Amino acid sequence: MKRISPIQRFKMMNPIIQLFKFFILSIKIMVIVAGGHGGTRKVN
Amino acid sequence: MSKIVVLGAGISGHVAASHLRRKLSKEHEVVVVSPNSNYQWIPSNIWVGIGRMPSKKILFPLAPLYKKKGIDFKQAKAVSFHPEGDQEENKPYVIAEYVAGNNQGTQEKVTYDYLINATGPKLNFEATEGLIPGENGTYSVCTYTHAEHAWKGLNEQIELMKQGQKVKILIGTGHAKATCQGAAFEYILNVEQELRSHKVRDMADITWISNEYKLGDFGMDGMLMSYGSITMKSSEMVEMIFEDRNIKWILGAGVNKIENGLAHYENLDGDLKTEAYDFAMLIPSFSGHGFKAYNINNEDITDKLFKGFMIVDADYTPKPYEEWTVQDWPETYQNPTYKNIFAPGIAFAPPHTISKPRKSKNGTEIFPSPPRTGMPSGITAKLVADNIIDSVKKGKESLHHKGSMGNMGAACIASAGYGLLDGSGISITTFPIIPDYVKYSETHGRHLGKTFGSIGLAGHWLKLALHYAFIYKAKMKPFWWLIPE
Ligand SMILES: Cc1cc2nc3c(=O)[nH]c(=O)nc-3n(C[C@H](O)[C@H](O)[C@H](O)COP(=O)(O)OP(=O)(O)OC[C@H]3O[C@@H](n4cnc5c(N)ncnc54)[C@H](O)[C@@H]3O)c2cc1C
Repeated sequence: MKRISPIQRFKMMNPIIQLFKFFILSIKIMVIVAGGHGGTRKVN
Repeated sequence: MSKIVVLGAGISGHVAASHLRRKLSKEHEVVVVSPNSNYQWIPSNIWVGIGRMPSKKILFPLAPLYKKKGIDFKQAKAVSFHPEGDQEENKPYVIAEYVAGNNQGTQEKVTYDYLINATGPKLNFEATEGLIPGENGTYSVCTYTHAEHAWKGLNEQIELMKQGQKVKILIGTGHAKATCQGAAFEYILNVEQELRSHKVRDMADITWISNEYKLGDFGMDGMLMSYGSITMKSSEMVEMIFEDRNIKWILGAGVNKIENGLAHYENLDGDLKTEAYDFAMLIPSFSGHGFKAYNINNEDITDKLFKGFMIVDADYTPKPYEEWTVQDWPETYQNPTYKNIFAPGIAFAPPHTISKPRKSKNGTEIFPSPPRTGMPSGITAKLVADNIIDSVKKGKESLHHKGSMGNMGAACIASAGYGLLDGSGISITTFPIIPDYVKYSETHGRHLGKTFGSIGLAGHWLKLALHYAFIYKAKMKPFWWLIPE
């Protein structure tokens, strides 16, 4: 069953669109990584 | 002068050893004990398993690197833990048995001031009768040698398909409580794409078999995620991908026995079923290594250190799923009894699973164990190293660095097919890794802006870029530490 439409597939596989996507994804991922981490417990 | 011993040179052990060596002066000793002579970038095993990447591209020998950087390397496996020393040795130590070289088979007491147990999982194939990589038509991609065998097996099937033979391919989890669904998910999509590129896709029937209750659970209780401008469940996203690629699925399946070409499993309805296959890649269950621990009088104290995996600062009190909280998850990965022992990465015992536990009508537990992917493995290793570095420098315990998986994001770029212009990847980020159902009660425990999915060619490029970046980092080339974990 073709669940992904031709236009969606075009967007997913078009190298120019995907190059932009590559930079956007890299930045989004870096933001999450740079967002850091920490504990979850309250210290009295 | 302090001596820090790191057991294991996988993602977490190697990250810890590299940071320790960089930040501690040479008067302090950093020792790595690991049985494999090579470092391997495990995520790229997927591409070894489809014949698109030779294993030499995902590994490099550790000894020359460690020699150059001033890290003492023992190609040995840890056998037992002696955190109080013994009657003759007053320092704590581990017994390590050499696995190669002139002293192969000999044992040595490796003393330490701080110990990092980064031994990851034991690939517990024995837990499923007949599940033996390379036998009975089943394969694994968990190590590069397994992945090489998998490609050989798959290639044989491709040749048969080219001769007109129909083939059944089964990929997923090989045990009722296996984890690492993500790796199997990547492999099934890569295999599917490879069959298309060999023009034999119509000759194969491809089936996903998994202990997940729903598609896209990934051992993380599923995700609600942003997908473009809409909000989607991970189950919907995976269903869309599988339907689009004509992949069938069997869920809630606890595989319990393999015979040549037959996978026997029980489902959540308690039915005992069998799925036939010609080629199967099934992830085994992961377990602890079965280490023993002894006190100064040589009495068994294994239960102070291990609960399968190593006991750390988690809340292990048994409680029902509804009462689980993110606070149960560890923050410093320090053993509560022996405070100079730490266990980052997969080596620590999780307080419970992440996915909701489920039993079949016969009482068999069928649900994914909690995954700990590369990013949290690296992050937890670095924070353990940083706490040890601070403690060494200050001369007293410092646990300033904390990183609970309940307050940490992860990016997982799942390869969905190899190829510079026809490859694909599914990029998923999750924050936090452990769903916080109190803080994010409306969005299935996760921050929607930071939990998103994206499918396309960019994902493949990203996965490839990460492959090169992390191998560069692992080789400790100039400015390697600028690349985050
Ligand atoms: C096929 C596959 C694909 C994956 N893809 C991804 C991905 O795309 N992204 C992602 O984030 N994660 C991925 N993962 C998960 C990731 O590989 C793990 O999270 C990570 O390897 C865990 O690191 P670790 O250091 O805790 O354990 P490991 O990497 O398993 O390292 C354990 C180390 O301990 C050593 N050891 C074992 N026994 C002993 C002993 N007795 N004494 C001393 N040393 C010992 C081993 O030789 C090894 O060096 C994938 C996993 C698999 C199997």
